[in-house]
Amino acid sequence: MSTAAIEVADLQKHYGRHTALRGIDLHLAPGSVLGLVGPNGAGKTTTLRILLDLLRPSGGSVRVLGAEPRRGGPALRERIGYLPGDLRLDGRTTGRQLLSFYARVSRPVPRGRDEQLAERLGLDLSRPVRALSKGNRQKLGIVQAFMHDPDLLVLDEPTSGLDPLVQRTFLDLVREARHNGAAVLLSSHVMSEIQHVADDVAVLADGRIIATGDVAALRRRAARRVRAVFADADSEAVWDHLRHLPLRDTALADEPDGVRLDALYDGELDALVKTISGLTTAELDIQEPDLEDAILQLYKRPRDPATKRPPLDLASLVDARGTAREAGR
Amino acid sequence: MTHVLWRELAGSWRSTALWSLAIVGILSLYLPLYPSLVGGDMQALLDSLPPDLVTTLGYDDITSGPGYVQATFYGLMGFFLVTAASVGWASQAVGGHEQSGRLELDLAHGIGRGRYVLAQALALAIRVLVLVLVGTAVVLGFNTSAELELEVGPVLVAGAALAGLALFCGVWALLAGAAIGGRALSAGVGALVAVAGYALNAVAARTPDSDWIAASSPYSWAFGDAPLQGGVTVADQWPLWLFVVALPALAMLALRRRDLRG
Repeated sequence: MSTAAIEVADLQKHYGRHTALRGIDLHLAPGSVLGLVGPNGAGKTTTLRILLDLLRPSGGSVRVLGAEPRRGGPALRERIGYLPGDLRLDGRTTGRQLLSFYARVSRPVPRGRDEQLAERLGLDLSRPVRALSKGNRQKLGIVQAFMHDPDLLVLDEPTSGLDPLVQRTFLDLVREARHNGAAVLLSSHVMSEIQHVADDVAVLADGRIIATGDVAALRRRAARRVRAVFADADSEAVWDHLRHLPLRDTALADEPDGVRLDALYDGELDALVKTISGLTTAELDIQEPDLEDAILQLYKRPRDPATKRPPLDLASLVDARGTAREAGR
Repeated sequence: MTHVLWRELAGSWRSTALWSLAIVGILSLYLPLYPSLVGGDMQALLDSLPPDLVTTLGYDDITSGPGYVQATFYGLMGFFLVTAASVGWASQAVGGHEQSGRLELDLAHGIGRGRYVLAQALALAIRVLVLVLVGTAVVLGFNTSAELELEVGPVLVAGAALAGLALFCGVWALLAGAAIGGRALSAGVGALVAVAGYALNAVAARTPDSDWIAASSPYSWAFGDAPLQGGVTVADQWPLWLFVVALPALAMLALRRRDLRG
C-alpha cells in the first residue's frame, strides 16, 4: 500500500476565539506506530477527533486512509478503530451486547475475535457495562477498537486506568496490529507509556508540533543512568578502569560492600558491558534512557505560539552533548 | 440504521412500559367516574364557575362522553404524559447520548450522522405510537362500561392528534439536540414548545375574536376541531405532521454540519 494512513498538513482548529490547533503536520505510514505526546490541552484529542470526523477542521488538509474524513463517511470509519480519550460507557447492556452492536455497524469481526481479545485482557463480557471499573471499561474500549482488525487505529490515552500487566498486553496488541500492516496513532501525556511501542514520536504543545523524532534512534543516543557496586576494589582502581567511557555526573564512593558508582552514560551499551567485565560487579542497574526528561524540558522552553517553526529533532535534545539534562538551556 | 433503531427501542423498553402503565392508571382512574358525573350536579357546578375558567380548562363540553374524555385525557393528562415521554426520549436521542459519550463512539464506527438522527426519529415515533395505542385501547375498553358513547373512528383520529402533538414537541427537542447539543437544553426546548402550545390554546379559547392565536397553537391544530366529536380526519392535522416530518430532516442536516461536543 502506497497511500499514507494519515496525511495531515497545516491542520488548524479554532473554537470561536480560542485556537486549539495552529497548523500541524503529521504523516503515518501503514505498518508503523506514531506516538503523539503532549501536556493536557496541547491539542492531542482535538487532532484525533478530527481524523474521525467527530470535529471539523478550520483549515489545512486531512487525509485518512486516502480519503478526506468528512467525504469518507461511515465506509471510511469502518476501517478505523477508535478509542476515545474520555471513554464513558454506561447502561444495562453487557460488554458482549455492546461489542456485538459495534460489530454489526462496523466491518465484519472475525468469529470469536472479541472473546479472544477480552480473554487476553482479562475482561468479563457478561457483566453490565455500568458495573465495570474504570480499568475494565478501558479494556472494553480497547476490544471494540481492535476487534474488526482495522487498517488504522486511533487510540487516545489508551493505557489510562490499566494496570501494568494489562498495559503490557495492550502493547503486544499494538505490535501485532503493526505487524499485520495496520497503522497506529496513539496519544499520551507521558513519553514512557509509548516509547516501547512507537516508531516515531511527535511532541505537541500549544497546538503545534514542536519536536519529532525516531524512537529507536532516540533510545540509542539518549543518556542512561548507570548505578553499580564493584567489589574487591577501591575507587581509584575503578576509575582507572572506567575513565575512557563517556560518563557524566559521575559519583564514586568507597563503601563497605565495595565501590559505588552513580553516573550518566552517553555511549553504546556494548562498550560499557565489555569494560565492566574486567571488574567484579556486585550490583548493576542500567536505566532506560530518560526521554521523559528531555520532553519536559522542551515544554519549558520559551516559544511564541503565533509563529510556526519547523519542529526540532528530538535526537538533538538527547544527544551526547545536548543531553537531556541540558536540553532546557 | 436499523441497528441503531433496535438498540434504542430495546434500551428503552422499561421506560416505554412505565409510561404505558401510567397511562393505563390515569385512564382507569378517570373514565369510570364519568357515569356518576353526568348523573350528579356537574352542570350546576360548571354553571356556578366563572365562564373564563371553564373554557380555559377546556371543560365546556365535559358533560358529554367525548367532551369528558377530551377534557380529562386527550387534552390534559394524556397530553401531559405522552408529551413528557416524547420530549424525554427526544432529548436523550442526540443531546443525552452525546453527553454520555455514546454518540462519539457510535459515530466513530460505521454509522452516518444523518442515518443516526433518522433512526432516533423513527424510534421516537414508534414509542409515542405505542403509548397512544395503549391509551386508545384502554379508552375503547371503557367505552361501554363507562357509558362514554364514543365511536371508534373519532377515537383513532383523536389518538393520531395526540401522537402528532406529542411528536411535535419531541421533534423540537430532537432538533435542539442535533443543532446545539445538551440534554437539558433539548428537554427545555421541548417543554417550552409544549407549554407555549397549551397556553396559546387556552388564551385562544378565552378570546374567540382572535383566530390567529388558535391558528398558531399546535395544541389547537390537534384538538381545536374536537376530533372525538367526529367529523375530523387525520388530514386535518396536516400542520402538526408537517413539522413532525420536517424537523427531523432539519435535525439530520444540523448534526451533519456541527462539531461533536466532548
